[in-house]
Amino acid sequence: MNNTFNINRFGLLLKRQWLDFGKIYLGTLVVLIGIIIGFYSYFIPSIHSNNITDYDGNLDMRFRYGLFLFLGFLFISIIASNYFNLLGQKSRAILELMTPASVFEKFLSGIFYTAIISLFSYLLIFYLTDLAFVKYLNSNIDAFKGINPKVTEAQSISHQLFNDKNYLEYCGYFFASPFLITSIFLLGSVYFNRFHYIKTAISVMIFSGITAYIIFKAADILTSDMVRVNHGNYRNNGDSALLLILLITTALTLIFWAIAYIRLKEKEV
Amino acid sequence: MEVIRIQHILVYYLTNTVSMIKINNLNFGYSKHKPLFKNMNMQLSNGHIYGLLGKNGAGKSSLLKNLAGLVYAQSGTLDVMGFNPVKRQPALLEQICFIPEEFYLPSVKIDSYVKANAPFYKNFNHTYFSQLLKEFDIPASNKLVNMSYGQKKKFIIAFGLATQAKLVIMDEPTNGLDIPSKAQFRKIMASVLTDDRCIIISTHQVRDLDNLIDTVIMLDEHDVALKASVDEITQKLTFKKVKELDESIIYAEASLSGYNAVMPNYHNEDSKLDMELLFNAILAEKIKFKPLFN
Repeated sequence: MNNTFNINRFGLLLKRQWLDFGKIYLGTLVVLIGIIIGFYSYFIPSIHSNNITDYDGNLDMRFRYGLFLFLGFLFISIIASNYFNLLGQKSRAILELMTPASVFEKFLSGIFYTAIISLFSYLLIFYLTDLAFVKYLNSNIDAFKGINPKVTEAQSISHQLFNDKNYLEYCGYFFASPFLITSIFLLGSVYFNRFHYIKTAISVMIFSGITAYIIFKAADILTSDMVRVNHGNYRNNGDSALLLILLITTALTLIFWAIAYIRLKEKEV
Repeated sequence: MEVIRIQHILVYYLTNTVSMIKINNLNFGYSKHKPLFKNMNMQLSNGHIYGLLGKNGAGKSSLLKNLAGLVYAQSGTLDVMGFNPVKRQPALLEQICFIPEEFYLPSVKIDSYVKANAPFYKNFNHTYFSQLLKEFDIPASNKLVNMSYGQKKKFIIAFGLATQAKLVIMDEPTNGLDIPSKAQFRKIMASVLTDDRCIIISTHQVRDLDNLIDTVIMLDEHDVALKASVDEITQKLTFKKVKELDESIIYAEASLSGYNAVMPNYHNEDSKLDMELLFNAILAEKIKFKPLFN
């Protein structure tokens, strides 16, 4: 039997990991659903409020974009930060490391649960909750028309995304961002023995701060005593910056996953 | 007939007495300035129950962790059944049953735990596992988290033994077990030894290993202070009660009726190994014992 990867063994490992991880995961999902429903219930347009439309004249659902991003960040980072945290406890780490599966399989199961399952379930839950509220609002559209006759039906968040080609393309450049978040917090869960989330968050803030400072200083030094020369035919191509974001976030994700794998391999009890 | 007999003997020695564990010049420590093992060398074979003894901090648990690949040595080589344990390869892991002193069990029923973990071990014996649970008096419907420490310990011992792993490593297995359970443990351990199995039990409660182990390994001062079979020890040393001390006695401890003494076995006397006495004797008079076991 292959000592690096075996599909049957990997399947067994996923099943086994669910035994421990599943409970935390399902618990977090229930909390997530509660928070989404709470926010929606509080912020959706009401027939008692004055401003019920957005700029396009639809029922105002703009609160959901911020909620989607903020809650999404929290959910996937918490899940990723919890996955390998058991390695910080001696007794749990022994059980984990002595399980007859390869380090690669253990690492892949980490990616499966933190990057794929958590992200997919978040999108699904958010979509379904959003859809339910949109349907509810649209079923009462006549009541809203009583306040503002020009108001049009609300659209689900996915409808807005998939029906606008530009918006979809723009979002495509940020495809790797959620994976980057999970990769950072997964690394934190292997690297730190306690307070994984806080320590990872602080480390990210420090590294981001240092990087931003270095970039700012470097740009400052490189461009000091210089004047801007504006070539008439020069056209700033915005897409190259977005492409760069996609490439950098993808590269960083792969780097953080690679480091997490090495740390897992080197883990001692 | 003679040729066949010799062939059988050869096959036995080639297949049955091969060293399962080879430790060569092992250097290990949790910090570079405080080494725990210095150039340790040792070979352990299948078909034996080794008792690993040593005072607190001698490195019993660390040696077991090295064998299981849970820690990294600073230098030297470790060979466990042809594998390097630090690579943590599944083929080796499924042949190791490691019972740690501190352990964790998830909050699930025994049945769920077995369903999730047993398939990793090709030779897992469900019938034997049920037998062991019965023998240890653990109801199979129990939720692991609701069991007492002793019950949990008995559960992981039962699970570990049912994996049919060739290398059984136990760190203080009798800690937390009540007196009847300790007797059950000894009985079970004696019955699980097979020609292709190697069992290593570390403990500081030496009396728990009485009549169980066949080889004593004692760690002291960064190395193996003693590695000898019980037969070899009782062949070379005699353990007896004496009224007065004389020059032949290597080590003695005062008792109510005189002294419990260890002395060279010049007259091939039969005596029972007093593990606690031997342990104290080796620690106190290591230099005097060294020539006897080299």
